Amino acid sequence: MSSRIEVPKPQTIDRSRLTYVKGGRPLLVKVPHPAKVDRNQLNYLFSGDSEEVGGIDIPMPAKIDVSKLVYTFGDREIVAPKPAVIDRNTLVYLSTGGVIRAPKARRINREELEYLPKKLTIIEQNVHSPVTPGQVNFPPFEVTPELDKKADERIAQYPDDQSRSAVLPLLHEVQHKFGFISPESIEWVAGKLDIAAIKVLEVVSFYPGFRQKAPGKFHVRVCRTLSCAMGGSYELMEKLCEITEIDRSKEDGHKDTISVSPCGNYSVEFAECLASCGTAPVCLVNDDFHEGVTEEKAQALLDSYTS
Amino acid sequence: MSDIKYLPGKEPHANEHRLIFKNVDREGWDTSIETYLKDGGYEMLKKGLGMEPKAVTEQVKTSGLRGRGGAGFPTGIKWGFIPPNNTKPVYLICNGDESEPGTFKDRYIVHQDPHQLIEGMVISAYAVGAHTAYIYIREEFPEAAITLEKAIAEAKEKGFLGKDIQGSGFDLEIYVHRGAAAYICGEETGLIESLEGKRPYPRIKPPYFPAAMGLYMAPTIVNNVESLCHVVHILRMGGDEYVKLGTPRNSGTRILCVSGDVKNPGYFEVQVGKVTFRELLYDMCGGPKDGREFKAVIPGGSSSKILRCNESFKIGRGDDAKDLSFWDLPLDFDTLAAAGSMAGSGGVIVLDDSRRMSWVLNNITHFYAHESCGQCTPCREGSTWMKKVSDRIEGGKATPQDVETLEQIAYQIDGKTVCAFGEASAWPVEAMIDKFREELVSATSEDNDFKSAERKAQEEFMSAVNV
Repeated sequence: MSSRIEVPKPQTIDRSRLTYVKGGRPLLVKVPHPAKVDRNQLNYLFSGDSEEVGGIDIPMPAKIDVSKLVYTFGDREIVAPKPAVIDRNTLVYLSTGGVIRAPKARRINREELEYLPKKLTIIEQNVHSPVTPGQVNFPPFEVTPELDKKADERIAQYPDDQSRSAVLPLLHEVQHKFGFISPESIEWVAGKLDIAAIKVLEVVSFYPGFRQKAPGKFHVRVCRTLSCAMGGSYELMEKLCEITEIDRSKEDGHKDTISVSPCGNYSVEFAECLASCGTAPVCLVNDDFHEGVTEEKAQALLDSYTS
Repeated sequence: MSDIKYLPGKEPHANEHRLIFKNVDREGWDTSIETYLKDGGYEMLKKGLGMEPKAVTEQVKTSGLRGRGGAGFPTGIKWGFIPPNNTKPVYLICNGDESEPGTFKDRYIVHQDPHQLIEGMVISAYAVGAHTAYIYIREEFPEAAITLEKAIAEAKEKGFLGKDIQGSGFDLEIYVHRGAAAYICGEETGLIESLEGKRPYPRIKPPYFPAAMGLYMAPTIVNNVESLCHVVHILRMGGDEYVKLGTPRNSGTRILCVSGDVKNPGYFEVQVGKVTFRELLYDMCGGPKDGREFKAVIPGGSSSKILRCNESFKIGRGDDAKDLSFWDLPLDFDTLAAAGSMAGSGGVIVLDDSRRMSWVLNNITHFYAHESCGQCTPCREGSTWMKKVSDRIEGGKATPQDVETLEQIAYQIDGKTVCAFGEASAWPVEAMIDKFREELVSATSEDNDFKSAERKAQEEFMSAVNV
């Protein structure tokens, strides 16, 4: 990797060593991937005569007119805020290996640029936790002594060197209390079990039983598998959505399977076989099991929770 | 036994022989240990702990008990696979991840009779030498997890669990471990991975036979809820007596779960092989719904191959071979295997003539596409392809060639995956196409064939040449 070199303030650059091509060809500075600075659009402010080739001292502090910079991040184009001015003095240049090639091999230290988006952690990048209307029903995640005690009890169920086994029980505790698994709770579980957060995340993202966004106060899971479908579970789902004004069109069937009503009171989800095929159609409302819930009984089912 | 009264409307059918379900829907029954003890509970635990562990295993071997989870592997033989020179701790796991569509037997055991399961587990753990046991219960049974934990605490208080059980010197702790709604956790090695806190990707066998390298790479016995409960009754009756129930090689009782298009769906505990489809569907379930006729039956959970109600099968070998119509088939492991399907987990799903096969197929392919764990490519991709093709057939957008494509995909999954999920997802599709090809093809049309401009021009040119 490149070493970081601070360019001293009054430094002069020997132009004769620079591989500038005067006129015609564009001068492109390679800024570390994926950002790119289009040099053509840089506006250098020199105090001296810029016509002379070789031996020009670039006066410090030079200023870059940021309003003309075009930064490209991946496929996005960001135009830096207009009145911003970058003070060259505060920039840190990184050389590619010993020799400084300014300006060609110059790198801009991204951390010092204010307008760059904050680097997300791997957990934040991969957890799909959009805010839903159901959020109001659950407290924000916090580690209470009670939760900590329950977690320790669960961990004690497994051999001392196998505490990773407690991932599922701990996540169940979190989901039961806080409604869904948030990035902070993943970090907490990982810390508690002394494993990498990714090992918790891979579990959360695999099991359909773990939610990554807040459901409604009453979360209805309707069985959609064969016997229940024959008994009318699709009709039940339609009816539930009609009563609660839930729009299921945004679900993608695999990753995002929960739809929350605008009021935040209800949410619905199709579940696979709930193992009560003889009393189809069946559904779970939070932890309560209901059998023989035909379309006609949908209203009564919901009323029994809200009244 | 005869003085047992059941709740009104829930009385067992005369053809039933209730062992495991003796206390299900029983009048005045609850899940407390007092009720169970009053009924003579935990007596077999005392008897079992008084025997040599090997003698218990011998009894189970003699009984011929076959696993009730789906594969039908003999339980006693499974127990015998623990390496004799083993020095690691042995684990017993109760597989309560009942998730095969059409099966709902374990639900009633864990909700209504948890102590029977615990008693069975203590005896089994004693036989295999396990001092730690886990009940892996599916996430969709939240009440059952609470019921079981309460029952475990009760049993511990009474000295049927914990240290030095009933003065025998045998220690056992049982813990409840909740799953998280993944079908693949019903596969024993997937279940073990899940219990270890990982994604439940099944392990390849060999070498990872759980009896040798299971939970934490130690010998592990994984048994279904129903199988473990049977152990209690085997000890009570004695292996020799138990084997007389049912038919040879298919001993004991099993719970058949009937769902779908019958008048009275429900659960029936019968002697294995003593009930035919005719008796089950007409006598016990009250026949088809009014004005309907039976069309097809999925005999052992959605993974088993579908059978048409107007088929007949050649059962047996050599001189014993006989032709049996579908209605005369007894529901045992071997007969259903000979008929090209399987007894599986005992989930019988009945379809009547109002059901379109394309719709049924579509529902099943959606299930398997959702539940494939994604470890092996043929299954991960294939199950999704099957879903897409069956979506086309159901949506009326398929061509006749799509049915063939679907069949090809299924045969390319079958046998090419780490675990049996590959077969489980492919078999229903293979069988449905095999038995209802005409119906599926009739739902398609040549007009749906997508033709590029190039192909159209080519066909036009060729037809002109032929003229």
